[in-house]
Amino acid sequence: MSGHPIVSLKGVAKTFGKRLLVQNRSFALSDIDITVGRGEVVGILGESGSGKSTVANIVTRLTGFDAGTYLFDGADVSAFDKKEGFRFKSRVQIVFQDPYGSLNPRATVAASIMEGLVLHRPEMDKATRRARVAQLLDEVGLPADCGDRYPHEFSGGQRQRIAIARALAVEPELLVLDEPLSSLDVSIQAQVLELFVKLIGERDLTIIFISHDVNVVRLICDRVYVMHQGRIVEEGSAEDVLTHPRNAYTERLLAAVY
Amino acid sequence: MTEALFAMDDVTVALRSNGRKMVTGVGLSVKPGEAFGVVGESGSGKTLLTRTVFGLQDDAELVSGRVRFDGQLLPEQGYARAARKLLGGRIGFVPQDPFSSLNPTMRVGKQITEALYLARGMPMGAQRTKARAIEVLGEVGIPEPELAFNQFPDQFSGGMRQRIVFAIALAQEPKLLIADEPTTALDAITQRRVIELMLGRCRSHGMALILISHNLELLRQSVDRIAVLYGGQLHNITHADDIGSRTVHPYTEALFECIPSKEKTLADIRAIPGEPVGAGFGTKGCAFASRCRYAEPICRETQLPLNGDQPGRFSACLLGRGADA
Repeated sequence: MSGHPIVSLKGVAKTFGKRLLVQNRSFALSDIDITVGRGEVVGILGESGSGKSTVANIVTRLTGFDAGTYLFDGADVSAFDKKEGFRFKSRVQIVFQDPYGSLNPRATVAASIMEGLVLHRPEMDKATRRARVAQLLDEVGLPADCGDRYPHEFSGGQRQRIAIARALAVEPELLVLDEPLSSLDVSIQAQVLELFVKLIGERDLTIIFISHDVNVVRLICDRVYVMHQGRIVEEGSAEDVLTHPRNAYTERLLAAVY
Repeated sequence: MTEALFAMDDVTVALRSNGRKMVTGVGLSVKPGEAFGVVGESGSGKTLLTRTVFGLQDDAELVSGRVRFDGQLLPEQGYARAARKLLGGRIGFVPQDPFSSLNPTMRVGKQITEALYLARGMPMGAQRTKARAIEVLGEVGIPEPELAFNQFPDQFSGGMRQRIVFAIALAQEPKLLIADEPTTALDAITQRRVIELMLGRCRSHGMALILISHNLELLRQSVDRIAVLYGGQLHNITHADDIGSRTVHPYTEALFECIPSKEKTLADIRAIPGEPVGAGFGTKGCAFASRCRYAEPICRETQLPLNGDQPGRFSACLLGRGADA
């Protein structure tokens, strides 16, 4: 195991072109320093417009950045060649907020989960892949016969489980969860939260957990970065920061949460 | 005991298209000046019930039950029209989405004065109406209300827009304010401000509030009593303080255990197994029985009880849980 942190963002900044219709909101990032060590569960907490999803997109290389450096496992991602760029996609996986929009409606659940394996594990034969899908479905709490069905046959919570199984299929070194509970019903949120707790306990996962929910971050994250208007305003152990905040904004946020 | 300001009794709501009964046998009452919460997951029927009861839902109708407001029984014939008439006058309504509930082509001030004219006719004269509108904008915490009076909705953030909608509702001095998920589109800090603004109005002007939300913890900390809907059935009416401290209806208890609130650790959070049942379950058996940890065979077969004339609280649990007064 290498001694590098898996993710190291230093002074990362991003500006968007001037948006005439979006006023009073800064979507830009400035001076973002984030370090994620192997095996850590790191929360990025912020309200809408704070830039937390932009951070998720930069970490997963879904979007670029204008300044600063991003080292992934010690290597500068800006210098990745095509092969490394391709490999990166199996090393980092993301689960999006909206399970209705993130699964291909024309692919069966098994096909969606298998896609990453077909691309990134070409040596795996069909039977092994099938077995892997069944095992993943079982792990996220879905019956094995789900594989032949289509996403529209599932509820939001089940779809989010499918999205999690899909992300885990290639055994990523880093899992980015972008508001994975927000579009779910209260009772289903708790189910998926329990699933995360189980997965964190059973697997050696490194997770970046993007959320606006102070209480969820406090419960499952080791460390937290609090974002406000495109900047990190406070960081530290989740328990510490979210019970004894030092920053004025964090304090206001905590006081407002029900 | 004070006379209820607003009461519904055995209300059943059905879709016009196929007559399917979506919300069944709901009875509740709200006292003057009371902050009353309605909680339910998506599809529980909470929005359909309120919108139909206040005549806003075109594709559903009241098929049984009585609704009373301020001593007046609403007629069975032409119900929706009669209910609709109360809105904008003695009853104010704040819908969920502050981005679509204001007219984007009309100045904020005009939207408030228009509401005043519609509610009261023109007894005040233009100058005083304008003064009143500016006064209300100030009351809901809009900075520089004179300036805001001449601005358009798109010049305000979501929280400020929701305050403007609130100002429109308050301009007519309603006795009852209905707020349907008024803060869902807002972030945490703004959410608390808007909720506290509404609660403050209850305390200062004796206005009653019906706050509809999916967030039980928000309601528990905000209102006096909470009605809990599930599968289109009324399951529980409980004092907010009782949640987490005394035996309440099993669904209320389970819903509360799902929520990761401030005081809880991971061990305190217990998910409800299975998927929520949508509205339209009917009245035969308890809709929650399939997910309830206490469920027994009788829960699936017995007719669900109605809320009779019990004063503060009600539990529809067929095993009698949470029913002790």
